[in-house]
Amino acid sequence: MPTVESILSGLAEDRATGSLRLGKAGALYLTDGRVTYAESPSCPRVEDLLTTSGRVSAYAVRQARQAAGEGLWGGDRLVERGVLTRGELEFCVLGAVLDAVFFLLQASGVRPRFRPGERHWLGPQWYFDVTGLVRECRRRRAQLDQAWPSTGLDALPVVPLGRIPAQRVMLTSLQWEVLVGTDSTATPAELARKLGRPVYSVLLAVRQLAAAGLLRVPEPAPGAPDGVPAGTAPSRAAPSGAAPPGRPPELPPAAPAGPPAGALPRRADTVRDVPERGTGPSPGGGRLPQTTGDPADVSLLIRLRNALEALT
Amino acid sequence: MLGIEECLTEVMAIPGALDAIMIDQTSGMAVGVGGGSRHTDVEKSAAGLSETLRATLDGLATASPTGTVRINDMIVTTDSGHHLLRPLETIFDGPLVIYVRLDLERSNLALARHRLQSLSGRLITT
Repeated sequence: MPTVESILSGLAEDRATGSLRLGKAGALYLTDGRVTYAESPSCPRVEDLLTTSGRVSAYAVRQARQAAGEGLWGGDRLVERGVLTRGELEFCVLGAVLDAVFFLLQASGVRPRFRPGERHWLGPQWYFDVTGLVRECRRRRAQLDQAWPSTGLDALPVVPLGRIPAQRVMLTSLQWEVLVGTDSTATPAELARKLGRPVYSVLLAVRQLAAAGLLRVPEPAPGAPDGVPAGTAPSRAAPSGAAPPGRPPELPPAAPAGPPAGALPRRADTVRDVPERGTGPSPGGGRLPQTTGDPADVSLLIRLRNALEALT
Repeated sequence: MLGIEECLTEVMAIPGALDAIMIDQTSGMAVGVGGGSRHTDVEKSAAGLSETLRATLDGLATASPTGTVRINDMIVTTDSGHHLLRPLETIFDGPLVIYVRLDLERSNLALARHRLQSLSGRLITT
């Protein structure tokens, strides 16, 4: 099956105009062989970026969409109405398109369909050469890997450590937004939608935070019990300072101890089946029973308290 | 109200401007190029410049009494010219940076700074 990249190159050569639909993965729009828009359900669209930030109202977007049917491109309509500058719209489209293409180029198992002549309601706001687009996506992937060479965290909830193995940290404004915005259940993609930021920017921030040792990192084999408390893994597993801090943890082989699968969870010293929320790893390796901020416990206690209060 | 290309054209109209690049700070990508930059490696320049800004932010944050920093513009003067960097905050993505290299003899730094400031207000409104 031809790759998305090769189909795009072919369309670029033919100077095609229309949309390349990749099923559930999303769609790309071309104008005279150059990409002018792209969207993927994994990334916020231009209208999401604009409305989440509060820059443009959902009403203005709806009006612009309608205008696209009446001979004026939606993007031009937004600029004309003065809700944002041409430069802001272009930069927003640029970010959203690169974000979507980053994921669309990896799409597999889809049947691409080209619909000649179909256009996106925003109209062409920025033109991308297919080769330039592919090169930039490759560069972005390299950049993510440079920050933290593992995709392990990309699809997991972002969970900041309650206590960090450092005395002082320096954050970028986006890293701050990620830490403040996460509820310990949102994945980077969900967080991007909530913050109104491109997924790539959030992914980069998440990987940088992981490299700085500020996030809970996944255990090597999900479900396999092992004695290493999450979070302390990077520093503990590093072979006597040989690995730089920006490396994903190379965990030692999992300890064979642990209950057989399917058994009731036992309150043990080292095995913690309850998901931790904001609890830092205890330095003593977990001699004491672990306290957790499990929301189930808290809400149960609150309900109990309310019931007791209702009795009196 | 300016678009990115128009803005770059206006930046190149600043007296003494030799080349200009618009950079996406988060990714270090060159968004647009003005004037003479076409014969340098724009992609490498953009990546290097965004790294320069990042390193400066880190250094200044450490050196400032509060530990936080916000750069309005950054001027580096070398043997051959002035380099101006101006990060513009946007609400939907990391800053967009205008970079311009100025001729040492033919430029007026104060004028260039002023022009860059008013241009950025027409490109991005916050």
